[in-house]
Amino acid sequence: MACRSRVLAVLVVAMLPIQAMAGELDVRVTDARGAPVPEAVVTAVPRASYTSLPAVPPPKTHVIDQKNETFIPYIEVFRPGDSVVFHNSDHTRHHVYSFAPARQFEFVLAPGESSTPLPLAQAGVIAVGCNIHDRMITYFYVTEAPFVARSGDDGRARIGLPPGTFDVRVWHPRQRPGSPDNAQAFTTTADATPAGLAYTLTLLPDQRGAPDRERSGY
Amino acid sequence: MTFRLRLASFLVVSLALLQIITALLVYEVTRRQIIGEGEHQLALAATAFSRQLDDVSARVADNVQVLTLDYALRSAIAQRDRDTALSALRNHGRRIGATRMLLIGLDGAIQADTQAGPALERFPFPDLVDLALEHPEAAVVAWSGRAYWIVVVPVSAPTLIGLIAAAIPIDDAFLRHIQEQSTLPNTIELAAQASGGAWAVVARGSEGTDLAAQFIAAGDGWPQVPVLKKVDGREYVVSTTHLRSSKESPPIVAVLGYSLDDALRPYRSVGIAWAALLALGLVLGLFGSLLIARGVSRPVEALAATARRIAAGDYRPPEPLVQRGELGELAAAFANMTQAIGEREEQIRFQSGHDAVTGLPNRVAAEAAIQQQLSADPGSRGVLLMVALARLPEITKTVGHAISDRLMRDAGERIRGPAADALIARAGDGEFLVWQRAADQPRAIALAFRLIDLLGEPYREADLAIDLAPAVGIALHPVHGAKASDLLQHADVALFAALGTAEPVVVYDPVVDPHRPERLSLMGDLREALDQQQLQLHYQPKLNLALGSVDGVEGLLRWQHPKLGMMAPDSFIPLAEETGNIRRVTRWVLAAGIAQAQRWNVHGRRLRVALNLSARDIDDPELPQRIEELLTVHGVSPDAIVLEITESAAMSKPEAALRVLRELADLGIDLAIDDFGVGQSSFAYLRRLPVRELKIDKSFLLRLAIGPEDRTIVRSIVELGHRLGYRVTAEGVNDRATLDYLAEIGCDHAQGFFIARALPPEALAAFLHARPLPAGESMV
Repeated sequence: MACRSRVLAVLVVAMLPIQAMAGELDVRVTDARGAPVPEAVVTAVPRASYTSLPAVPPPKTHVIDQKNETFIPYIEVFRPGDSVVFHNSDHTRHHVYSFAPARQFEFVLAPGESSTPLPLAQAGVIAVGCNIHDRMITYFYVTEAPFVARSGDDGRARIGLPPGTFDVRVWHPRQRPGSPDNAQAFTTTADATPAGLAYTLTLLPDQRGAPDRERSGY
Repeated sequence: MTFRLRLASFLVVSLALLQIITALLVYEVTRRQIIGEGEHQLALAATAFSRQLDDVSARVADNVQVLTLDYALRSAIAQRDRDTALSALRNHGRRIGATRMLLIGLDGAIQADTQAGPALERFPFPDLVDLALEHPEAAVVAWSGRAYWIVVVPVSAPTLIGLIAAAIPIDDAFLRHIQEQSTLPNTIELAAQASGGAWAVVARGSEGTDLAAQFIAAGDGWPQVPVLKKVDGREYVVSTTHLRSSKESPPIVAVLGYSLDDALRPYRSVGIAWAALLALGLVLGLFGSLLIARGVSRPVEALAATARRIAAGDYRPPEPLVQRGELGELAAAFANMTQAIGEREEQIRFQSGHDAVTGLPNRVAAEAAIQQQLSADPGSRGVLLMVALARLPEITKTVGHAISDRLMRDAGERIRGPAADALIARAGDGEFLVWQRAADQPRAIALAFRLIDLLGEPYREADLAIDLAPAVGIALHPVHGAKASDLLQHADVALFAALGTAEPVVVYDPVVDPHRPERLSLMGDLREALDQQQLQLHYQPKLNLALGSVDGVEGLLRWQHPKLGMMAPDSFIPLAEETGNIRRVTRWVLAAGIAQAQRWNVHGRRLRVALNLSARDIDDPELPQRIEELLTVHGVSPDAIVLEITESAAMSKPEAALRVLRELADLGIDLAIDDFGVGQSSFAYLRRLPVRELKIDKSFLLRLAIGPEDRTIVRSIVELGHRLGYRVTAEGVNDRATLDYLAEIGCDHAQGFFIARALPPEALAAFLHARPLPAGESMV
């Protein structure tokens, strides 16, 4: 949770130089049962080019820690050109890999070791796992979208948007395959009245538990 | 059926019935128990089967899942290296026993298929894929006519990149394996519905049984509750379970059968033990009952054998078989009875063969003994003497049986003297029989006279001296008969002859035997004679002594026998009387006599015709009417005839005679008593009869010329008869002296050879013509 708030903080910091928000989008993500869905990535892409878009931040290196056989964080949002460094804080080795079309890699990290920075040039979702510990997974959401937010525990994500019309999408790693594009158009209003969008996602079970026998369906 | 068999079969049958009923009861109870148990077990089995399937599913899913974690496979899939993925799938499929492995994309398209053949584009059970996205999914499906277990497992690398489906066939072997693991005596079958709606069996756990097919054939659907089903003579409790399956798959039903026979198998040994026990019990029961029954029936059979032996005449006492008990008493009683019967029979046999008074054999025994001798030696000679004490009936009546018995004993002893080596028997009341073997006629006669001498001595007892008046008849073997019975009969005839004459000893003479069998044929001849006019009446003149002329005749019957010649009435009248032919004879005589009287009447001859009636005739109540009719028919007046009856006939049936004679007298016919003087009639009785004439018996007349006593008797009869108003006729007048004497004493009529024989009517006419007045002549 601390990690997530830090990411949020980064985003907020990144946006600070931008002039006052024309409107705030409140996105509400629930699953099929109506429960709030945390850790959904909300992107808003303006339909027309804006001059007032925030400046593209310089590429940065994200550190993904591996602790207690868990990738931290679970979801990391990247901009193309960013790099990632894996650090192994565990006492076991981790065999980090990705078969994602956007970026494929594979290496073994000894305990305490950190990887060399891996540049992520291409947008896309990169699922990263550990070949030794099947439960370990993290998703790199590499996007060029200028406005990105992640839902909190209450399933809500707030994005301050300049005036204009946006295509707002919500992504979640556990969305069922074949789910339709959930883009919704959103136009900020002049009076900056907070407006909301609601998304209902059909999710698969959290894979991080699997393939624990006790927690599997069998 | 013998007692032994009946007792044995009763015991055995009741034992067997009892056992069988018990066995049936136990069997039925056990069977119901087992059916109930079967239903219960089937419910458990159905659950267990599902659970087993689930367990296998989980294991297979685990296996598949483990394989999805294989890095090489994941990488091959993720990198779309189809050939590598396919080979890896094949390899893993072999490991888990899947016959078909499929790689399914997240969009449901088939990316790889280990089974060659037409490429399958889309996975046929998308609902399984949907579910598998969340967790490994397994289901039983019918696919291409077979049952499969489909396990669908998601593949993550590390995020979801596809799904692997493993198809494991649920075939006969698999079901068999499950059955073997089960502790239940059950059988499992799977049936699936084909696209047409028809059900078909897709797998069977047991060879031979075909439970599902029964329901399919019946077409009544699958039972909701366990039912009892009979297949090929074996009984099953059957339940069905619908298996969890894909929505896209035809429904699949598991049919579980619980074999009652198998369930009953453990009881079979109990049953066999039971049957063995029953057989043992039966054998013991049979043996025991036979033993018991033998204890009863054997003595009974022995007694029955003894009884048969006794019936056959063997009176030896039965062997002592039983010493105690009721049968022992019976056996003892039997022994006593046997002895008693033996003694009694001995006595009876003796009595039947012996005379109780004299102790001599009786006639039957003697006849049998003689016959036995004759049969043994038919050519031998022998003599049979029949010795009679003629006066014995009279003696018995006079002095009583006690003395007459002693007398007979004494007589028997006397006979034994000269005939010690002869067979002596008591042949009748006053008769003895003496059979002397190897003897001839002179010897017999000598013996007879010796016996006459011995028996001629009066029997003496106290102050009694009884004259025995013996007579002997002799028959000779083989001259007078070949058989003992003939000899006896002929000796009797001879004895009878001896009794009737002055001769004390008579040898049988077949010529004079009045009892010859020929006499019977004579009666047949007599009937013929009546029909064929072989009979004639001859007439003997009756001389009226007072007038010296013949004024009457007596009709005497003559029979001109075709073979035997002229026969006198004495030779056939008694026989006719005995055989009941006399009435016909009498009718003929009456008719002939009355007709002749009428003829004489016509010719002006006044002759009274006397006709004889038999003793039998006066029993005939129709006789007077018949005579009246004859008189009327011929126009003869009643006083033209006289009817004669013998004194003995009149005496034998006094009442009947009286009635008939009165009626005849009322007709105006004169009646005469014939043979008067030798019978036992009294004048007192005669006075009651309507009689007009007495005919003095000829025995008085025969010695009239020489015997003074007879003269007196004749004179007395004549005088007394006249005084009582009777006419008197004397018969048998054979000489002039007699005739003269009769005339002298005033006898009315005389009849006899001296006057004339009986003559045929023509001869009589000639006689009368020649001597119109013989009386006058004679009187002169």
